Amino acid sequence: MTASLNKGISVLKEMIDAPMASYFSSCVHCGLCAEACLFYTETGDPKYTPIYKLEPLRRVYKQEYTLLGRLGKMLGLSKPVTDEELEEWKPLVYDSCTMCGRCSLVCPVGNDIVYMVRKLREGMAISGHAPEGLIGASKRAVEIGSPMGVKLPAVKAQMKHVQQDTGIEIPLDVVGAEYMVLMSSMEIINFPEYLAAVAKIMKQAGKSWTLCSEAFEATNSGIQIGVSDIAKVLVQRIVDGAEKLKVKTVISPECGHAYTALRWEGPNLVGRPYSFEVLHILEVLDGFRNAGLLKTTGFEEAKLTFHDPCQLVRRGGVIEEPRRLLNLVAKDYVETSDPGKMNWCCGGGGGVSAIEEAEELRFTAFKVKKTQLEQTGAKTLVTACANCRIVLEEGLEHYKMDIPVVGLTETIAAHLVEGE
Amino acid sequence: MNISNDNEFKAALGKLAGVRQRQIAALFAESVLALCTDHRLKAAIDSAKRVDATKDELAAAFQSAKAVSVDSYTQCGHDCNWNKQASHFVAEAVLACFRPGDTSAWDAAMHARMARTCEGIANGEGTDNTETAVQYRILAELLNS
Repeated sequence: MTASLNKGISVLKEMIDAPMASYFSSCVHCGLCAEACLFYTETGDPKYTPIYKLEPLRRVYKQEYTLLGRLGKMLGLSKPVTDEELEEWKPLVYDSCTMCGRCSLVCPVGNDIVYMVRKLREGMAISGHAPEGLIGASKRAVEIGSPMGVKLPAVKAQMKHVQQDTGIEIPLDVVGAEYMVLMSSMEIINFPEYLAAVAKIMKQAGKSWTLCSEAFEATNSGIQIGVSDIAKVLVQRIVDGAEKLKVKTVISPECGHAYTALRWEGPNLVGRPYSFEVLHILEVLDGFRNAGLLKTTGFEEAKLTFHDPCQLVRRGGVIEEPRRLLNLVAKDYVETSDPGKMNWCCGGGGGVSAIEEAEELRFTAFKVKKTQLEQTGAKTLVTACANCRIVLEEGLEHYKMDIPVVGLTETIAAHLVEGE
Repeated sequence: MNISNDNEFKAALGKLAGVRQRQIAALFAESVLALCTDHRLKAAIDSAKRVDATKDELAAAFQSAKAVSVDSYTQCGHDCNWNKQASHFVAEAVLACFRPGDTSAWDAAMHARMARTCEGIANGEGTDNTETAVQYRILAELLNS
């Protein structure tokens, strides 16, 4: 056994806690999780059954923590997990799992399969079986501060660009601001309209806000690759920035997993409660709407539909907020099939879009989204995750479907009453 | 007419209607075209500049610019190459030419500036954007012609 494999197996053993043990022992092999996974439904290949993706972890559980398994191991009757096997499983654990959580939701015995995949990734990464794309992203996140290599000068350049575009000054490092706005690298690089939209909305709402030069990045590749130590460093950076600026609320941007990482996993990662609140931008906007601080005018002309980012609806319960916001600006709105908590993933979450080898499979999995969109007849697709947005655009382009994809925050900002 | 700031620039662009919006947007995009090597954008800009371009020609130009735009996104988790990212914003500037409404020229101008900003980031330069002055000159020349 190599040293890295030994470490990986040790980590897997550590990962098997009480919930995990109960999940493995209560699985009834019903196969419902397969029907909930877009990689299985769109390929028909049983290897993409979510619970099957956990096979190496199940074997470690059985061999280490069950009586029969331990006896089998002592007598040399059970097959140990090998490097070759983990390498073979890499595409199942990373390329074909977006950690969307649909499988967890349908499991009749309540197994949180995403939680299990997340734990398996810890052992995979430590044993050297994580995809190159995610390894590179994680290194950049720790060393540079962004998984995509964005440095502060690039942020400042975008701030200046947005100031020119909107005529609104973008605040940086303002101590005592009410809100600290985070961005994903995707928004800094590809979607400057997000920051412009936030600036316009905050101005109209009369709220104080700031970016933080030491913590502008929201994403957390530690969560995606499955290394809690990295995830902790990245969360801590945000906590330090927020506490230094003494803000009341940190706003997670239009990015699905950043929200999960910061809001739901973050306090456990850093080992203490936050001194501030964490909200997704849609929760903040809906709060503004409820308080009468969002004054919009006019309606979108095109027929709209909404793609629910998995991490928002299934992990975070942010379901009605986007719909209430869309109701401000959409007269002709249509839901896809399975909207809200049962929405189908775009196919690129959980780090999949960073894995080049996964591209072909991702396009195959996108067929479910394609069908959903064709059924609606929608002319514009709105979403609230920058990664979903690009994955959707690529999928639509791949299948020659001419449907523009836009962010919800910028859609709202485009309808603000000017001068308010 | 002389244009010396963004307020004058935006106001002047706002007075342009239909085809003129598209044409000036195309000129803004053309000004940064050297930042993108994809030949599809050149053809799309040529279509946008033509007064007599048919609806089908404009639709085809839009589609090809859209394809370049999607191809040139920096994907989540990938190391950003700011020179390549400039290509994306050139494509976005071209796309803006074909969007209806009275802000297409302004939008094209902003995307063109963003393309130049990407070039500046790639070269380790400051945040000064010389494209702004170029755009003022392009618009002034058009209005004075």
